[in-house]
Amino acid sequence: MAESTGAARPTRRTVLKTAAVTAGGAALAPRTAVAAGAGEVAAGPGETAVVTLSVNGKRRAVEVEPRVTLLDALRERLGLTGTKKGCDRGECGACTVLVDGERVKSCLTLAVMRQGSEITTIEGLAQGERLHPVQEAFIRHDAFQCGGCTSGQIMSAVACIDEGHAGSDQEIREWMSGNLCRCACYQNIVAAVADAAKGARS
Amino acid sequence: MTELVGRSVARVDGRAKVTGAAIYAADQPVPDALHGVLVMSTVARGEVLRIDASAALAHPGVVAVLTHRDLPKLVVPHFPYVKRFIPMQGTAVHHVGQPVAIVLATTLEQAQEGAALVSVDYRAEKPSVVIDDAREPAFLPQPFRDRPNEIRRGDAASALREAPVRLEARYSSATRHHNPIEPHTTTARWDGDRVTLFESAQGVLVTRTVVATAFGLPPESVRVVAPYLGGGFGAKGPGWPHTLLTAAAARVARRPVRLVLSRAQMYTSAGHRAEYRQHLRIGATREGRLTAIAETSTAQLTATEDSVFNRSDSTIGLYTCPNLHVRHEGVRLDVASSSYMRSPETTSHFGLETALDELSWQLSIDPLELRRRNHAEFNQETGERLTSKRLLECYAMAAERFGWARRQPRTGATKDGDEYVGWGMATETHTFAAMPSTASVTVGVDGKALAQLATQDIGTGTYTVVTQIVADALGLPLRDVQAQIGDSALPPAGLSAASATIPSISGSVDQAARAARDAVVALAVADRHSPLFGAAPAEIETRDGRLVHLRDRHRHDTYRAVVGRAGEPVRRTATVLNQGGHTYGVVFLEARVHARFGSVRVTRVVTAHDLGRVMNRRTARGQVLGGVTWGIGHALMEHTVFDRNTGRVVNPNLSTYLVPVNADAPPEVETLFVDKPDPASTAMGARGFGETPITGVPAAIGNAIYHATGRRLRDLPITQDKLL
Ligand code: FES
Ligand code: FES
Repeated sequence: MAESTGAARPTRRTVLKTAAVTAGGAALAPRTAVAAGAGEVAAGPGETAVVTLSVNGKRRAVEVEPRVTLLDALRERLGLTGTKKGCDRGECGACTVLVDGERVKSCLTLAVMRQGSEITTIEGLAQGERLHPVQEAFIRHDAFQCGGCTSGQIMSAVACIDEGHAGSDQEIREWMSGNLCRCACYQNIVAAVADAAKGARS
Repeated sequence: MTELVGRSVARVDGRAKVTGAAIYAADQPVPDALHGVLVMSTVARGEVLRIDASAALAHPGVVAVLTHRDLPKLVVPHFPYVKRFIPMQGTAVHHVGQPVAIVLATTLEQAQEGAALVSVDYRAEKPSVVIDDAREPAFLPQPFRDRPNEIRRGDAASALREAPVRLEARYSSATRHHNPIEPHTTTARWDGDRVTLFESAQGVLVTRTVVATAFGLPPESVRVVAPYLGGGFGAKGPGWPHTLLTAAAARVARRPVRLVLSRAQMYTSAGHRAEYRQHLRIGATREGRLTAIAETSTAQLTATEDSVFNRSDSTIGLYTCPNLHVRHEGVRLDVASSSYMRSPETTSHFGLETALDELSWQLSIDPLELRRRNHAEFNQETGERLTSKRLLECYAMAAERFGWARRQPRTGATKDGDEYVGWGMATETHTFAAMPSTASVTVGVDGKALAQLATQDIGTGTYTVVTQIVADALGLPLRDVQAQIGDSALPPAGLSAASATIPSISGSVDQAARAARDAVVALAVADRHSPLFGAAPAEIETRDGRLVHLRDRHRHDTYRAVVGRAGEPVRRTATVLNQGGHTYGVVFLEARVHARFGSVRVTRVVTAHDLGRVMNRRTARGQVLGGVTWGIGHALMEHTVFDRNTGRVVNPNLSTYLVPVNADAPPEVETLFVDKPDPASTAMGARGFGETPITGVPAAIGNAIYHATGRRLRDLPITQDKLL
């Protein structure tokens, strides 16, 4: 194990903060600031705020730094790992969730900005054992392979249908193009969305 | 009695995947894990002089910054670890994006910020990163994985000289990256001298071997867990440095460490399809029969290794040709190692199938007819008859469905609105491997079956096919069978790469399940409490979870009752070996080229493939859909761009490295299968398939563009600017 050089600027030598490591996980005590109300947030590196997020119908308090994305709050703090991170920069759609019913790439929005919103993730779509019609349609039409994009595709599809952008295969192809599928199940995704949309209309 | 195998059974892992319940490597909860983020070199060639971690260490939550000075010495593993060095073992820098430090912090954000705060000084030399800038001429590398890089048959030089018809052309393609949607990730947790890795791996066992070798551990001290994988396409097959560095960091820090590569880091961390040039010379008779092929390819290699991943297997053996000379050459460049990427043989096959199209125009012979005339009935290297090759049937089925007979034998003949319409075709073929695999099947006291083996499902349908096989062999409903895979603690089996999963595991799973069935039947007929007591085992049929006497159907029992009375599960294990080979098919497609913008759309596709027995129609079709769209990406958009001065990747993201989106995929793909069991396959008549569909698509698109416009493009990708 490396050690601290003791030099004023610990250059040239890599430094472990030996104490923190050898203490077997006694992490640095975080400096915590509690936000007084929704939207009021502490700033500064390392400072955290407790925010309340409403996810899948449950209100949950979560302590985050202001820079934490909604995606990382869901995955790393709330244990909702059904939402996936593919690119962390708004390009793939794997992290799509619904915020007040609209599809949002959760890697492009901060958790602190979404206090007071109703967030729906893939875990919140089924009613108990009963799958959402879009989830069922995805299985029926084999609209996934590896599943890496699937949570995002399904959330996006739910919104796409709600928006009225699932009127034809051509329309679905365009309005589902913000969600990449590297396995390229695209024809089956279109079929699943069209099928679920038909059900939603009837 | 087969009921489920061969049918279009819905994926058994579907529910887990559509509800978010499927646990991928980075989803695995590991208490107390630190987040690790790699600091990558920003120079392509040189040396690390100084690393200043002070600002990073001052950042709240940062626990450690580890460099080459801190890590234990590791042993460089042999293949499948393709990089012949491990970063952070010294100061040398061989490419941009080589790890030079790893920052560990309590939260992900702290680790990311910490990594940005590490400052590194380098001694940098001018790099060469593209084939045009190579410092040395191309050379013939040593054999790779025991296969030589020079192949000769007959006398290609003389045959070319004497050929009545000759064709010479140069083809090329850019660097490509796999870009699975799930980034590579490792979580390492040590427990004394044992380590568990939650890993995005296409092969838990090969990853185990790589890690055990690097740390000098016995394989049983390493456990690799990967029940689900968010795409691999070859990128997650070999072992890569980030896995070893994460494990090393966790060991030093004495805490579990989780590391997820950023999308940008994936462009230098886990291989790619190498930049590639191909010089082809073909000799033929006036009737279009090939008499000679001479091919020299040049691939990007690196300063540290010279593996050629994109071999010219189809040039060597797809068609009958008595005289052949193939050389796989390469040049050393200051870039990260390349590796296998979905269907590596596509790279050279584009040239061969384009050249055949060119020859067909030169001779005024229909391109399909030209391929028929050169159809190989014998293995070109061994002379053995290819008994179960049904490529001609594929040609006939797909041509008929596509309406190929109506093709206009002129270029630029069809215009629809603003677009020229062209038709193209190409043969598809790829090699598949078969790897020794053991499977166990257990019938529990609840009458349900569990199949276990250390293979993977990378989206190709392994869970489902294993479940189908076991359900059929035992006579159980699908819901009473479960497959457990993706854990190195399970019986050893092949990885999901080289189209090898189905041909490697199916025979073993089937035999283990049949043995388990026979064992339960034996229990029943020996059990006084069973209505089947005293019956001959051959007279028992198993179906729907029941054991029924064939002649006296009133006598029946159930798995649950028989095994329940016995009081302990019945477990059987089997290993059935198989051989690799080739799988064939054909693709016909229609492309439309915009007269003013040069944009290309693929609007109609028909494929036919012979993969022996089709185990599951819908997962097989899924491979074709994926392959066709990958072929479109390969032909029309994907290319990684390097800055020639710095060696940096200019487009390491998904907004400038374009992969096909939904609207780019052809609205309609008809997927036909011959579906006849291959008698030579011990995998229930199935052959490996995943990588075959795609191989012909790039050439078919280029051939269709030529048909549409009269313009022959030999450099991939055919981006819009090339058609203006
Ligand atoms: S992870 Fe958010 S769009 Fe890719
Ligand atoms: S299912 Fe694999 S990326 Fe879409």
